[in-house]
Amino acid sequence: MRRYVIKRLLSLVGTLLGVSVLIFLMVHLIPGDPATQILGQFATPEAISQMRAKLGLDQPLWQQYLRFVGNLFAGDLGTSLFTGEKVWDQIMNRFPITMQLAILSVIIAAIFGILLGTIAAVKQNTIIDRLVVLASLLGISAPGFWIALFLIWIFAYKLALFPISGYEGIHSLLLPAITLGLAEAGMIARMTRSSMLEVIRQDYMRTAEAKGAALFRVILSHGLPNAIIPVVTMLGLQFGALMAGAVVVETVFSLQGIGSLAIEAISKRDMPTIQGMVFFMALIFALTNLIVDLIYSRIDPRIHFD
Amino acid sequence: MKIHKWKQGAMSVFVATALIAGCSSQPTNQTGNDTAAKGNTLVIASLTDPDSLDMHKTSWLSMENSLIYEPLLTRDATGKLHPGLAEKYEISQDGKVWTFILRKDVRYHSGDPMTAASVKDSFDRLLAISPVKGLAGPIEKVEATDEHTLKVHFSQPFAPFVNVIVGGLVSPLDAKKAKELGDGFADNPSATGPIIFDKRERGASLTYKKNPDYNWGPEYAANKGPLQFDSMMFRFMKDDDTRLMEFKKGTVHVLYDAPPNSVAELETLPGVKIEKVMDIGNKYIALNNKHPLFSDVRLRKAVALSVDRDPLVQVALNGFGKPVYGPLAPTIYGYSEAIESKAKQLYTRDLGKARQLLAEAGWTDSNGDGIVDKDGKPLSVEMLVSQEPAFQRAVQILQSQLKEAGIDMKISVQEMTTIKERISKKSYDMALMYYGWFDADILYLIFEKSNSTSRTHYNNPELDVLLNKGRLEMNEQSRLKIYEEAQEILVNDLPWVPLWVSETVIATRGVKGFTVNPYTQGITLHDVTLEK
Repeated sequence: MRRYVIKRLLSLVGTLLGVSVLIFLMVHLIPGDPATQILGQFATPEAISQMRAKLGLDQPLWQQYLRFVGNLFAGDLGTSLFTGEKVWDQIMNRFPITMQLAILSVIIAAIFGILLGTIAAVKQNTIIDRLVVLASLLGISAPGFWIALFLIWIFAYKLALFPISGYEGIHSLLLPAITLGLAEAGMIARMTRSSMLEVIRQDYMRTAEAKGAALFRVILSHGLPNAIIPVVTMLGLQFGALMAGAVVVETVFSLQGIGSLAIEAISKRDMPTIQGMVFFMALIFALTNLIVDLIYSRIDPRIHFD
Repeated sequence: MKIHKWKQGAMSVFVATALIAGCSSQPTNQTGNDTAAKGNTLVIASLTDPDSLDMHKTSWLSMENSLIYEPLLTRDATGKLHPGLAEKYEISQDGKVWTFILRKDVRYHSGDPMTAASVKDSFDRLLAISPVKGLAGPIEKVEATDEHTLKVHFSQPFAPFVNVIVGGLVSPLDAKKAKELGDGFADNPSATGPIIFDKRERGASLTYKKNPDYNWGPEYAANKGPLQFDSMMFRFMKDDDTRLMEFKKGTVHVLYDAPPNSVAELETLPGVKIEKVMDIGNKYIALNNKHPLFSDVRLRKAVALSVDRDPLVQVALNGFGKPVYGPLAPTIYGYSEAIESKAKQLYTRDLGKARQLLAEAGWTDSNGDGIVDKDGKPLSVEMLVSQEPAFQRAVQILQSQLKEAGIDMKISVQEMTTIKERISKKSYDMALMYYGWFDADILYLIFEKSNSTSRTHYNNPELDVLLNKGRLEMNEQSRLKIYEEAQEILVNDLPWVPLWVSETVIATRGVKGFTVNPYTQGITLHDVTLEK
């Protein structure tokens, strides 16, 4: 297990190196001079050339890249061109909200998705099953901003149970988390349902039932653990994506997470922040995947890592 | 016992959430709507968080980051010049030395008195670090001749300086504090304004509290003393629907940049007032005058004559704007009604005349497809436009209007940075652009040959002479006359096609006396009161 983790961590470094090349090229291939963009159209030519020197834009591309990677692996993501703050500090200031939001949404998605999916599978081809399938389809296909505005309208504006926007503590995150969680719950429900349907037909399920165990117990102790593996993969992937920033939802709810930070950075062409964010997101994604893989072995002892 | 492990997993996620929630760096009640609307706090919903509160480092002074700074001279809502931090000013015979007599009762937020020496230090800092110091003109040196007398020496006369002052670029900041704090000044700025920086949640909110010692309000304000509310907060919200709901719920007093299509609904709400403030600049079609097509003045004019500005304003802007035909918006110093009406007469839509000009240039519709052609090639041009919604709507109207004149216009949506880059490389036909400035000197910044900000690559020595003269002429009447001549050239030769001047729409509720000055583009806070 330990060897496996080390191996995975090493390959992570390789992945991050690849990502660093992509990020670097991405930012440098976008047209437009960042120095002019930062200083505005009325900046003096000397101020612009000073800024170009400060950004290292006057050096050959390969030198710029080496410096960029060197800093990256030394843990220095650079300094924001607009705010003058360290990119790492900016991300860390914003990350707690996104992290809370991601955890809450995944919990909501997991609870509703697994519950509904299991019920639908057990009650296959009944009206309950069809309702669940329909509801999950709605959850998947309704646009996030629409759900968000609908929830704000009902629960924040009409009923005044929550703030409309902004962050005042964890209860401010409930509506955005539901917004994100609903769409994912739909996907989780469908996946749980089909996975569970396969498991239900297995011999060991029939055996357990034949031995007189209650249906509830059979599903819970024999069915679910076997059906849940693809669901965990899905949850893990979604969690990674959520941590990397729920851009739309953070914008609608005016939440200061890393999704909104990314949007701000891109609109202002704040190169170091964009680069740092993408790098950070890649790291989060890779780590989440690793954790998901490790969770497998705990759920299903047949999966070994050597 | 696999289930137990799963439960454990779920538990640890809960614990993690609780932990993160506990140690989150986000203070509660920062953006709290309850605290905000009930207390004696003026709450303004605003679109963008400024980059820096240090006015010498910001890329643009906006209401969010300029309110703590006060200009030496100011204008009232009718455009009339008034004393600000300077009681009076005087310009030497040769126009090179500006002398300011400063008020004696002004203190910075740090408690230090504002003296000529401190204002000099502020100027020196600006000249040392501001990327836009060029806008302040050819300043040679600044000296404090006594405790309250400041002299600004120019290497040559610079007439636009008065409007540079009004615009706030050279407003004094607390240079001693700036020196002490270095980069940290942006997080703890100090100046002379009626509000004092309080706290900032990047991207979420910006809070100021009132300056209790303030007693030097401008002449045109009824209240010269401290503000009549305790604090003010900008809340940054990007999503239009969210901003609207916050305003309707009553959690913000002022909805800045109200979405134009929501104004009709807002007007029906009890207590809501809608104010419109005209921009200090135009939106225009930048034509590439170096392009083989638009180096021909007949084609430039044909484009102008194909455009009907009224539907642009009515449809693309929901009526919140004014058509303009001449070079300067009415709120810019140097605007001339005579020029505007002449331009209007010349370029009000006339498809017959447009087609005639095209025909004179050799472009006629020989194959009957509705598009004029020459040597078998149709007249097809590309319009660069940014993603801004109003621009997007406008450019589609323009497309159909130009088509009626026989010009095939293709729309190319690009990022503004890309557009600017292509313009500077001269690889474009036309682009939908904008400008904004406090003085007719903007024409120098756009058109004079030494400027890199040209959007049209138009070169006219006669115009250059006038635009340079306009900077040097200290006599106001003569100066305005020079700009009339310069504008006349621009109207006759038409290197660009001015389209409209936008209006910012502001909805307010629960607040009295909230006004925005169109000439300085600043909020006047002095007479603002909150309704309880």
